[in-house]
Amino acid sequence: MTTIASNRIKRTAGERSFDIFNMLIMIAWSVAAIYPFWYILVMSFNTGADAAAGPIWFFPRVFTLENYMFVFQYDRLHSAFIVTALRCVIGPVLSVIVCMLAAFALSKRFLPGRKALLFFFMIPMFIGGTIISNYVVMSKLDLINNFLVYVLPGAFGFFTMVIMRTHIEELPAELQESAFIDGAGYFRIFVQIIFPLCMPVIAAFAFFAVVGNWLDYYTNLIYVTDRSLSTLQFVLYEIINRAEANTMIDFTKTSGAAARRLMAQKNNTVPTPEVIKMTVMVVVTFPLLFVYPFFQKYFVKGMLTGAVKA
Amino acid sequence: MATTTSKQNVRRAKRGGLEKQNIKILYLFLVPAVVLTFIFAYLPMFSNYIAFLDYDFNKGWFGFGSEFVGFDNFAKFLTDDKFYKLIGRTLLYSITMMVATFPAPLIFALLLNELRGDRFKKVVQTTSYIPHFVSWVTVAGLFYMFLTVDPTGIINNIRQMFDPAAERISYMQDAKNFLPVLVISEMWKETGWGTILYLAALTSIDPQQYEAAQVDGASRWQRLIYITLPGLVPTMCILLIFSLSGLLATNFDQVFNLQNKMIRMETDTIGVYTYYQGLVSGQYSYSAAVGLFQGVISFILIMATNYTTKRLSNVGII
Repeated sequence: MTTIASNRIKRTAGERSFDIFNMLIMIAWSVAAIYPFWYILVMSFNTGADAAAGPIWFFPRVFTLENYMFVFQYDRLHSAFIVTALRCVIGPVLSVIVCMLAAFALSKRFLPGRKALLFFFMIPMFIGGTIISNYVVMSKLDLINNFLVYVLPGAFGFFTMVIMRTHIEELPAELQESAFIDGAGYFRIFVQIIFPLCMPVIAAFAFFAVVGNWLDYYTNLIYVTDRSLSTLQFVLYEIINRAEANTMIDFTKTSGAAARRLMAQKNNTVPTPEVIKMTVMVVVTFPLLFVYPFFQKYFVKGMLTGAVKA
Repeated sequence: MATTTSKQNVRRAKRGGLEKQNIKILYLFLVPAVVLTFIFAYLPMFSNYIAFLDYDFNKGWFGFGSEFVGFDNFAKFLTDDKFYKLIGRTLLYSITMMVATFPAPLIFALLLNELRGDRFKKVVQTTSYIPHFVSWVTVAGLFYMFLTVDPTGIINNIRQMFDPAAERISYMQDAKNFLPVLVISEMWKETGWGTILYLAALTSIDPQQYEAAQVDGASRWQRLIYITLPGLVPTMCILLIFSLSGLLATNFDQVFNLQNKMIRMETDTIGVYTYYQGLVSGQYSYSAAVGLFQGVISFILIMATNYTTKRLSNVGII
């Protein structure tokens, strides 16, 4: 396409105005995509009293780190962070192992019963359980208020497996054959040949799984009531939708917090529920936004392999 | 050494040849996937039948011991006026959402494609993906913040910049704003992300077609209509099937988070209603019946759409 553009010598006035118009739209869209995040960042660094005094647009007016001091002392957020981090590691690892193993086995077209197995995996894509029947099963399996509910149900993904299988099938067959001649079994071939060669696909899906685990709050909402097993998104949900932000401010459970509150009162930097909400939003949202550009290369590729297959 | 094509590989794999020994271990490889699928996909599928029971949660596995009531639960909601309101609202929300948000990524991708300067294009693309990486909880938080009467309510701030006398409005407290909020939040969050597939399809269109068209004197607009759009039809069909199949399943996460106590009764959709009736109020069987009803209709929709698009354009997902 770029060759076409450079070949063109003259652009009509209409085309030029379209180009300018187009560029403006794109700039506007990008700003709209980013500004909300900039805004919560700005607010999280501003004192609550000042934020309540009037509109703030681009920079903190009265800079403070007090909001973060308060938020970081909130012990529920600590445990939520640990739970979320754990599921973001265990979930993807488990998922990649389960899907890769199945993909490898199903890439062997001579495997008896392969078609039936594929059919078995495919049916749930069309017929499934409802929110209630899922809940019943989880509770009968004793998965309510159990960490495993975060990582087990999503471990196998049909589409993921199909894409991995396609990738395995496209590897040169000689690799596996020569390994066989040298006496390697399926397990050894899987671990030493297939796994390393599938790394790009694995990286893409692992990243998707990390994102999915980080953002999910539904599982927590439905199956987990134990507060020590709350995830970050769920804590954020409670802080935004309930009076949680207030309790955070008056929490006096820890002596350090009480002292800090006195100090904040003296300096007139007491956080308000509003800025607390925004600070927590920053803490919960930004980690993913920071890693995302580094993975962009992978997930676009991953999406595309998926799309070609679909 | 000659490079093997994937076709040759597939043929080889079918044959198996040397490798076709001791394949038992391959079944072992499949065990985790089979077990997980059975437990987390098939068991819930089977236990849908609590919709036909008067389910007692404390009795045994899958309702053994609960009373069988046949279609009573279905009859209960099918004779309830409230239910038709709920279906009507769910349909209204999802049809509006689909009509409004389906073309957005397509248009965005086309505009992006016409953009001059690869660097700029890349930056726009990267930033437009960002909202996809936040949860609906955060999106709801942002919307509440921007639409409130408080000083953080940017929309009200902007209005007052132009007209200082303007009254500040609490947008989210009014049920009639709910649908626009759904549409805008969905567009904001997913439009950029949705362009990935279209952009990929765009790169697969043969550049020679454009060159030939240009030689023949086709304008930029004509090239769009006669080359680019037809090239995107298969992608559009697949995405259409997916979105139609979800017609009754409005995004639970989205509706649940954007609602608030004041407007909940007027903005419930089937999905959210099932949650409140079943898990909050404990009417398991009734809720399961509502969910199953929705599931069956969705299934019919996906099959019908798939059939139609397959007929029309030879594209289908099954």
